[in-house]
Amino acid sequence: MNATLPVTNEEGFYEIRLESIGGLGANLAGKMLAEAAVLHMGFNGANFASYGSEKKGTPVKSFIRLGPPEIKLRTSAPVERPHLLAIFHEALIRTGDPAGGIYPNSVVVVNTARSLDELAQDLKMTSGTLGVVDALQIAVEEKSRINTVMMGALTRASGFIDPEAVKAVIRSTFERKYPHLVERNLRSFDRGYEELELKTLGDGTGEGKPYHRPAPKWGYLNAPLGGVVADPGNSMLKDLSASREGFVPVFDREKCIDCGQCDFVCPDYCFVWEQGTDKKGRPAQRLVGIDYQYCKGCLKCVEACPVPGALTEARETAELVASRRVPHRFVHAERVIA
Amino acid sequence: MAVAEEALREAGRPKQKVDFLSGNEMAAVAARQINFHVMGYYPITPSTEIAEFLDAMKAEGEHDIVMIPGDGEHGAAGICYGAATAGARVLNATSANGLMYALEQLPVQSGTRMPMVLNLVTRSISGPLNIHGDHSDLYFAIHTGWIVLLARDPQAVYDMNVLAVKIGEHPKIQLPVIVAYDGFFTSHQKRRVQYFEDPQVVRDFLGERHQEFTSVDPRNPVSIGPYMNEPDFINNKYQLKLAFDEARRVIPEIFAEWGKLTGRHYPILDTYRMEDAEVALFLVNSAAETAKDVADALREEGIKAGVISPNVLRPFPAEEIRRALKNVKALVVGERADTSFGEDGSQLTHEIKSALWDDRENKTLVLSRIYGLGGKEFYPEDARALFELAIETAKTGKVEKPFDYLGVTPGDPEKTPVRVVDPLTKEEVNQGLVEVTKNEETGRLEVKIARPRELTARPKRILSGHGACPGCGIFSGVDTFLKGIEGDVVVLYQTGCAYVTTTGYPYSAHRVSFIHNLFQNGAPTLAGALEAFRERQRRGELPPDDELTFIMITGDGGMDIGMGSALGTALRNHRLIILEYDNQGYMNTGAQLSYSTPYGHRTSTSNVGSVGRGKTFHHKDTAQIMAATRIPYVFTGSEAFPQDLVKKAAKAQYYATHEGTAYGKILISCPLNWRSEERLGTKILEAAVNSCFFPLYEVEQGKTTITYNPEDREKKVPVSEWLKMMGKTRHLLKPEYAEMLEEIQREVDFRWEQLKAKHASPIL
Repeated sequence: MNATLPVTNEEGFYEIRLESIGGLGANLAGKMLAEAAVLHMGFNGANFASYGSEKKGTPVKSFIRLGPPEIKLRTSAPVERPHLLAIFHEALIRTGDPAGGIYPNSVVVVNTARSLDELAQDLKMTSGTLGVVDALQIAVEEKSRINTVMMGALTRASGFIDPEAVKAVIRSTFERKYPHLVERNLRSFDRGYEELELKTLGDGTGEGKPYHRPAPKWGYLNAPLGGVVADPGNSMLKDLSASREGFVPVFDREKCIDCGQCDFVCPDYCFVWEQGTDKKGRPAQRLVGIDYQYCKGCLKCVEACPVPGALTEARETAELVASRRVPHRFVHAERVIA
Repeated sequence: MAVAEEALREAGRPKQKVDFLSGNEMAAVAARQINFHVMGYYPITPSTEIAEFLDAMKAEGEHDIVMIPGDGEHGAAGICYGAATAGARVLNATSANGLMYALEQLPVQSGTRMPMVLNLVTRSISGPLNIHGDHSDLYFAIHTGWIVLLARDPQAVYDMNVLAVKIGEHPKIQLPVIVAYDGFFTSHQKRRVQYFEDPQVVRDFLGERHQEFTSVDPRNPVSIGPYMNEPDFINNKYQLKLAFDEARRVIPEIFAEWGKLTGRHYPILDTYRMEDAEVALFLVNSAAETAKDVADALREEGIKAGVISPNVLRPFPAEEIRRALKNVKALVVGERADTSFGEDGSQLTHEIKSALWDDRENKTLVLSRIYGLGGKEFYPEDARALFELAIETAKTGKVEKPFDYLGVTPGDPEKTPVRVVDPLTKEEVNQGLVEVTKNEETGRLEVKIARPRELTARPKRILSGHGACPGCGIFSGVDTFLKGIEGDVVVLYQTGCAYVTTTGYPYSAHRVSFIHNLFQNGAPTLAGALEAFRERQRRGELPPDDELTFIMITGDGGMDIGMGSALGTALRNHRLIILEYDNQGYMNTGAQLSYSTPYGHRTSTSNVGSVGRGKTFHHKDTAQIMAATRIPYVFTGSEAFPQDLVKKAAKAQYYATHEGTAYGKILISCPLNWRSEERLGTKILEAAVNSCFFPLYEVEQGKTTITYNPEDREKKVPVSEWLKMMGKTRHLLKPEYAEMLEEIQREVDFRWEQLKAKHASPIL
């Protein structure tokens, strides 16, 4: 083994964390990067992911821990202080704290179409190295997934992972079952590697960012006995918008005929109706809009809508969603805040 | 010198491959190399992957293990038991409630002395339901007469799986063996590992399976499992005890033999820096490894710290523990399960204390702490906290608090849950959007429903914010059904996607009264709630004018493992509704086949490969099975035909209010595991109906009526039109699958024609 780790923690490990949502291939990316480092570069290592009842679209983390070959790898705890951090999905910055735990000299790579400065601001990152790459755009162009693009970017950002080792793993991962995917994923990897833009922030000193372990909302003194949820319906407080992968339905009140078909097919109950009147002035239900806080962007409603233009698909922007969201009216979020 | 000797020995050993695999992968690698005859299994997280990996290998022809998906863990254990009686090498894998459901079978297996291997991927037992790793299942398993080996990391999973076969089959032992390792921490974490390149090395190490008595030897017939009275029964158990005595002697020999072959040596009790330790921790599996790092750190601080952790839990290494603790001043036993509530100290604490009692010289002070329940992480600082307890105790020579929990949160007693969504009012739930009347002449129900537009006024019983995948068909399907239900409801969700995604604590997306129970038992649970409600109402304890409709929501998986109890409930004809959402697989655990998965479809346990061709048998016709119980109402439905479904919901409610059980199956889309486009969910369901794979019909008072006939509307399409829309079935359209496709069409046509005959005849 020739490569050495650029930096290690007290236990002697270099640690990587990939922050994503289920379905973007972060797990596979973590596995392939770790495999390259362990099987091709001779490091000792571990790779695992956060597990729960995760479904597609919910936050997921993949962890890699690398050390020199002679080191005993014993801990199975998640990576809280990553030397290298990837954010596969920009929306996570809005709904969570994906960069929690970075050191002042950590390297952070974000999948985004926006600029380094904008991202530094969003992440409130003042120290370390920040990288951006438009992985979604590259993946669309190469007909691949963003994970191999991110792997290219991370490989370069790491400064020590051998790109040839990772490419060998990509090849062996895809060639048996999906041979047609090999070339496009290798191209995606290369483009991620090449198109990553890096910027050094600050002087690498300071504290970095603290990591917050999730704490229980209720404890043994105040949790209702037996695990009962005494305030059901509180799922309405959640923000599911990070589940979307870039597309939303857009509603045009002018064209809508209030047929109700969208309401039958929406899995997330995003359509907001009110009692109004029909064209003849009789009392009737009227569709007011979409509550984007819960919309996961499946677009089933666009397929179900019988009227051209009443529900259409659009590329999501923060402005579009903010300006057009119609919130459900039966939620008393203020009660919790107060 | 020692290094040189080791290198020499290494040179003589069979070649091993270095790989990067998880515990579950290593269990599968070992199984492939052992080439068990039979694996009986039922998917349960986190053990499921073992069967998935083995099925994927089998699809490529890499082993000959007969893989049999049981109808539940109890059934899977039966498959394993039967195979063991036939002299086979047998494998199973389970976790948590899977073990609990099979528990009855474990003493049967050991008491009749049938060796097999069970990978117990440890996980906390429900309830509340939790899928993560602790040792509560293991603590039940150790009372069943099985040898229990522990695997602390993925490498040990491989080693112990091979060793388990050899130990269990040893002529002096003849016992089933559990290999237990930590769910997720070990099962899902990839590490650098080694295994033999040539599986023959493993097979030679094990030799041929030999069983003196089998169930399949007609020239030497024996009666296995006779009824046994006293005075014999006690002798059978004594034989079992003797086998464990033998195991104490045999296991170290077999471990040593494996050590010579692999270079990996396992003591019965792993002792780390215990030679001169004054303070020590006792921990099981992965947590012990974390504690070793902390012991190293403490040693650097001048504290004589050590860690002990067993590699074999049954037989219990009492002698080894006495030896290791000879001069230890204070020991903290960390336990990842509290199964001895009220006893102040969980299982192993008492076993260790009991072992020490037999050494009257021993002065070790023992403390017990519960940690890491439900998969709560065990960080180095947690190990340090336990060590500090031991250090303090050693210093003072006094046990301040013999038993406690580590890592619990008090919470603020001033803070209580606040409703952010008000409960539905009587007016809100009774809007008269559907009307059902009985036609006294025909005896049949007539249903009027509001226009779809007006149905949107029905408040949702499930709310937004649930964590289902984008495009999940459960929630559109179930809500469309609920649009046809007037009034107040009590819902029971069996374990499955709909349950898990709506109730991650402390959240709940259910606006109405909700119960969960495990999916073997939802229907009886709801029946119990219903009958109690009525009786309490009759006694005047509940308002007489309250009307509740009881609805169970289950997946098709729940109607496999819970089929028996659902049938029992239907036969008793309780006034409730069972609604099954069928997404053709166990999607909550990662898309394993269910009995409702259609023939040829790809799932994670019916893989497609050079040999594997998808599911090997046709889908279960649950609606017809339920109809055979003669309950008053059975229906099928789909969100693709919403008015049809809403009407059927209204009828189901009428029957469940007035007559007895109603059952309905709705087909719903699962874009993730069907490998289909999220937006096309409704269209795929429409195609399934129009291909007559999923006909829309009802069986009302025994009379079958097709409620939508695609032939009459000239909408009928061949099944290929439906199958081409999903990635999980795309292979079926390839020329090499032509015969299978034809077989699917034949079966669909046959069931459809049979249904039409029933529709046409009042007596069928």
